[in-house]
Amino acid sequence: MKALTANRLLDGEVVFWQSGGWIERFADAQFFADDDAAGPEAVETAKGQPTVIVDPYLIDLVEAPGGWAPVSYRERIRALGPTNEPTHGKQAEGGAGIEALLAATGAARSTGRVDLIRRK
Amino acid sequence: MYRYDAIDRELVADRAAEFRGQVARRLVGELTEDQFKPLRLMNGLYLQLHAYMLRVAIPYGSLDSRQLRRLAHIARTWDQGYGHFTTRQNIQFNWIKLADTPDILDELARVDLHAIQTSGNCIRNVTADPYAGATAEEIDDPRVWSEVIRQWSTLHPEFSFLPRKFKFAVTASAKDRTAARVHDVGLVLRRARDGSLGFEVIVGGGQGRTPYVGPTIREHLPVDSLLSYLQAILRVYNRHGRRDNIYKARIKILVAALGKDEFARQVEEEWSKIEASQADLPDTELARIRAAFTPLDFQTLPARSATFEAARTASPALARFARNNVKPHKKAGYAIVEVSLKAPGATPGDASADQMDLLADLAERYSLDDVRVTHEQNLVLPHVKLDDLPTVHAALESAGLATPNINLISDIIACPGLDYCALANARAIPIAQAIARRFEDADRAELIGELKIKISGCINACGHHHVGNIGILGVDKKGEEFYQLSLGGSGQEDASLAQILGPGMSGDKVPDAIEALVGAYLAVRQGEERFLDTVRRLGMAPFKEAVYADAH
Amino acid sequence: MPTLIKLAEGRFSAAEDVFADVADEDVLPDGPVILSLTRFQADGDALVSAGRRVGVRIQADEAVEDLAYDLPQLAVVALVFPKYRDGRAYSSAALLRQRLGYAGEVRAVGDVLREQAGFMVRCGIDAFAPADGSTPEDWAAAAGRYRHVYQRAVDARPPAFEERG
Repeated sequence: MKALTANRLLDGEVVFWQSGGWIERFADAQFFADDDAAGPEAVETAKGQPTVIVDPYLIDLVEAPGGWAPVSYRERIRALGPTNEPTHGKQAEGGAGIEALLAATGAARSTGRVDLIRRK
Repeated sequence: MYRYDAIDRELVADRAAEFRGQVARRLVGELTEDQFKPLRLMNGLYLQLHAYMLRVAIPYGSLDSRQLRRLAHIARTWDQGYGHFTTRQNIQFNWIKLADTPDILDELARVDLHAIQTSGNCIRNVTADPYAGATAEEIDDPRVWSEVIRQWSTLHPEFSFLPRKFKFAVTASAKDRTAARVHDVGLVLRRARDGSLGFEVIVGGGQGRTPYVGPTIREHLPVDSLLSYLQAILRVYNRHGRRDNIYKARIKILVAALGKDEFARQVEEEWSKIEASQADLPDTELARIRAAFTPLDFQTLPARSATFEAARTASPALARFARNNVKPHKKAGYAIVEVSLKAPGATPGDASADQMDLLADLAERYSLDDVRVTHEQNLVLPHVKLDDLPTVHAALESAGLATPNINLISDIIACPGLDYCALANARAIPIAQAIARRFEDADRAELIGELKIKISGCINACGHHHVGNIGILGVDKKGEEFYQLSLGGSGQEDASLAQILGPGMSGDKVPDAIEALVGAYLAVRQGEERFLDTVRRLGMAPFKEAVYADAH
Repeated sequence: MPTLIKLAEGRFSAAEDVFADVADEDVLPDGPVILSLTRFQADGDALVSAGRRVGVRIQADEAVEDLAYDLPQLAVVALVFPKYRDGRAYSSAALLRQRLGYAGEVRAVGDVLREQAGFMVRCGIDAFAPADGSTPEDWAAAAGRYRHVYQRAVDARPPAFEERG
């Protein structure tokens, strides 16, 4: 499964594609099946929005207990915020989506480490 | 301190106006991101993981209280209420919006601050000894020359699109507090045998993917010829530095490829053709800049302060602070005070807006309105009277700024790493926090003595891990954060590159590994040996054994 | 969209480019031509002797010093910016003016953008073939952004310390 992410030009905020628009919460993002052409098509559409976002790209997701989560801890940090300051970034908002991401386990390339993001 | 006049101010204001126009053109699509990116980088604006990051220049690490208060104001108004002091004596704000940046630059310009050339393939902030003007060690004030180079390099038309970034460091003391030997150009002020002032010119030092301790390409350059000589160096680099591969584009690669003698020959040949009268500064201008740094109004005081001695005897905390954070000043009755931004558990190098305001007040009241940033992510109050030390210490303590750990094991350099930086492979801050907490005990830290741990979250080495007594490099190993330890590095006058200790380990094992290294050191150290000295004396074997023996 | 912008006596204006930019494999047209350094080194003498107006195109990795003896005969030296971020042409321009004493037209070609106008002018470039559709007014605005400069360069602008007197 994949999602499409970018940074918003105006303020650098991490955003995710949802049906032709950009939203801030990973939990609200549109997911694409790995072989769905809609994913790459969305990337092309996104590249045509240089005054809205910068550098759009697809990210891989993994199925975690709370739902889909980004495979890589880099993308989890982008979706949550810095691990040294839990009151900064999207994680400060709290809620079910954030909790699910924070508790997400499993990553396709790791050797079974539990949560990659450890809250302070 | 160099005080801006109308001309300096107009230049910064024009730069801010130029960037405002460029941002406007970017937002409506008249500039593509590819065209805009170097322009915003040359104004210190990065696009990082969570937001834009603005790197504000602090020329040679020098600020007054008015400027520090304005940085606090910017942190509150446009950021999350804090800033991060860097390994190049600058400050970074992590949560900036592109749309706000023109206003922020205008705000900075009002106190003679800017973000000019703090990124991009151009000449960056020229660093200097943070003790300049305060230490008895220096043979001349390095800030004079840093300011000379700063002006010369600002918007230099020939050298604004170099193959890669270009970093200068200037030092004038036997003890090097600038890491001059791992800079693109390190300038060490020396007196020749005839007493004349000159620079030892070191070119091609650097860290990153291919670290080098820079060779000396000229033992003595008369100070009056500085700019013409630098022009020769930069022109040779601009013309012949590699542009095909960003990992091979620094001047260190060119110097290594040509060899130091051939590189020096090319520089000298170019230099011989440069018209010195056009390139070098007239004496009047040198004198004007030097006058900005003439000694301040120090009082005549006795070397010994009864107030301080009594307070030190009565307060073990003040005594410990004095032992570790207070350094000798050239004037009797004064001291240099290092302010640690490494409270165990805190993010190294970070200061809150409130802390910045407090430091501004202390600088204004007790340090002749002068505060410095070190390349080890700490701050300095350079001119504090011994009589005032108890008051200053108490104020620092109230703000969490009195950690007595300068140069000790918990005084760790760490880059922002994967928590903030788009270039990173691994996090650095949590590793620093874990180590600092493990060695939080102040008695133990003092027992261990000088031990410089430096942590980078990727090969770009912004945490200076190549010159750590213990260097730690975070890497991505199959999607997990792994950490490679190395030993024996130094960024000081005895510069050396750290050697890899052994295979990388996961983050949770790092504090134990440090524990093992410390244990091995304490078991064999001789006399006053620092950790670095023991590593140099014994080599890696006993340390490798200590860390990896259990892995069999 | 002008093909060329020229700077003369402090003023930017649109100009027709009378020079044909000739690739190495092309047949030589009549009229003024700009040749690569290689082709000039082969055919240049003959053309100049025949009274043709000739210019030379210098790539970013070519040395302007190779033209030292021929400069008096050259109407134009075109410095190529393969990418605007490639700053080698700035050094080439400075050397042409300051070291080799070239007084003809120094033209910036390739990935030439108005945002770099100020640097180009200060290095002695006086003609520009913009790649971004910019106008002489755009170039005047960009080149005129700074009331002061800190350092001496090829242009005659006094550095700040001279302004202070």
